[in-house]
Amino acid sequence: MAAIGTSEGVQRMLADMREGVLQGRVPARIFNDQEIFDLERDKLFSTAWCFLAHESEIPKNGDYVVRYIANNSIIVVRDEHGNLTASLNMCRHRGNMMCKSEMGNASHFRCSYHGWVYKNSGELIGVPYFKEGYEGKLDRKQWGLVKVRIDTYAGLIFGTLDPDAPSLDEYLGGFQFYLDIYLKQGAGGSEVHGPPDHWVAETDWKICAENFSGDGYHTPVAHQFGFHLGYFPSSGATHSEGWAVHIPDKGHSIGLGHTPGMPPFFGYPDQLVEQMRASLSPEQMEVFSKTRTAVGSVFPNLSFLIQPFSLVPGEPGVRFCTMRLWHPIGPGRMEMWSWCLVPKDASDEYKEEAYKAYTLAFGQAGTFEQDDFENWTRVTRAAGSTAVRGVEFPYVMGLDRPRLDDFPGPGYAVSPYVTDTNFRNLWSTWLDYLTREV
Amino acid sequence: MGLATTRGVDREVRESIREFLYLESLALDERRFRDWLEAFAEDARYEIPVRVTREKFSEWELSPTSRIFDDTKETLEVRVKRLETDFAWSEQPPSRTRHFITNIVVRPTDEADEFLALSNCLVYRSRGEETTPSLFSAQRRDLLRRADEGDGCGWLIVHRWAALDQAVVNAHNMSIFI
Repeated sequence: MAAIGTSEGVQRMLADMREGVLQGRVPARIFNDQEIFDLERDKLFSTAWCFLAHESEIPKNGDYVVRYIANNSIIVVRDEHGNLTASLNMCRHRGNMMCKSEMGNASHFRCSYHGWVYKNSGELIGVPYFKEGYEGKLDRKQWGLVKVRIDTYAGLIFGTLDPDAPSLDEYLGGFQFYLDIYLKQGAGGSEVHGPPDHWVAETDWKICAENFSGDGYHTPVAHQFGFHLGYFPSSGATHSEGWAVHIPDKGHSIGLGHTPGMPPFFGYPDQLVEQMRASLSPEQMEVFSKTRTAVGSVFPNLSFLIQPFSLVPGEPGVRFCTMRLWHPIGPGRMEMWSWCLVPKDASDEYKEEAYKAYTLAFGQAGTFEQDDFENWTRVTRAAGSTAVRGVEFPYVMGLDRPRLDDFPGPGYAVSPYVTDTNFRNLWSTWLDYLTREV
Repeated sequence: MGLATTRGVDREVRESIREFLYLESLALDERRFRDWLEAFAEDARYEIPVRVTREKFSEWELSPTSRIFDDTKETLEVRVKRLETDFAWSEQPPSRTRHFITNIVVRPTDEADEFLALSNCLVYRSRGEETTPSLFSAQRRDLLRRADEGDGCGWLIVHRWAALDQAVVNAHNMSIFI
């Protein structure tokens, strides 16, 4: 059942898509449509675990950042006791916005409308004219900021608007194994290098999420200049090699690109690899050591990439890691947050080098990022055009490819890296959310 | 310091720096990127910090660690080489840009042959058939070094620092230079 107000056309499209995805067909229309956007807001982003912040963005007591789940502004805080907490960014009295900055540090929040004051953890503690005006009718305990349920994994803070959602652990469903390649770089784990790049694009968030669910197929063409200039540590001849893994029915996936002959953990300092050997499992080390490129997504809209990259073509290069949030703000329109994650225990020199590699390749001016968004914006535009309403895209790559039964990690793994297997799972999971009763 | 004056910078220097900044932006708008690279010193840095919306009196509004561009002359040249291939899709077809450079203030530095040039920079970018252009408004702070005799530009950019006024940048990419 689709939501009240969803047209018969969209209901039929989603019903047909159920079988279609299994056969390797996905309707183009989902990538730019008002009704789909509304359904995603009401059924997907209102129930899924959505990324809010990395713990290292708010290291000190009182640090906060303002983030979003769908159209809800949320303050994510480390309170005065060091506990992480999240509240809607709205005064409980008349709904004014509490924090107007993207980040800061405060022990209390004071509303600029009538002056209600809250602890940074959300409890209402100050009300002007409390005695004279309210005459004992206002129970401050009942009128704190509206809490948002949060949980963390290895530094990532997620929130959900659904009080009945399963635990984050269950939601991630084994994908933690792969997330560790990004989040546990060295004994101290990963930290953000600084605040994220932040921009808007006329692009549907799902195009980006799909791409980062392991689209190794686009790389030799969309980023052909990289191969052409000679500094991409792969070649067209071997680029398809590696693995694609997803967690069935959860929507999380990762593509693991492999370059034959590349030394294990190419681009990491040796000391960091030693630390990882101590903190990661042998199965993780086996998978990660063979990985050149790890491009993965936590359903629905948080993605990561690790990739060795040099500033100048042909040089050895360093491994950089980016984390990105594709945040929908309208049909075919999104806000982009892009962070660089660095190993906390690495030297400052390594962190700087990795960060420079990140800015040259990714981030708003990154040479790879530029080309991706150019393509994605044009895909979005096509998907919104009327003649495309009945058009489907083929997702048949790897349709009959057998599941690897000896892959060391959890989930459904296939080889090679270039395949649509992850995407079929992504879209059938997406469909589960959009067609469920809420 | 009040409205710091530009005493100590003679008219010839001011005029020559203004002319240099105009010629440099002309090279960008005419997509003569090799000519543009020549305006940079070998040890040049090109930097656009990430702006964050912060409360008044915050320690910083421009991130001390995050950058949109964090380039040397060497990496700027990589970007230019990329634009010279057939595969720089973000600039295929190319953006039409127009750099408007105003409010130029030139200040002396401790080095006799180096000056700090502050300017306002508004970049209009039009792409394809899109009728809505991207507009980038920035403050530029350029450290300029007098070039050797015979170097046609007259000046070299040692450090370009440009801070965008928008914290959330309204463009799908920054495939152009500020």
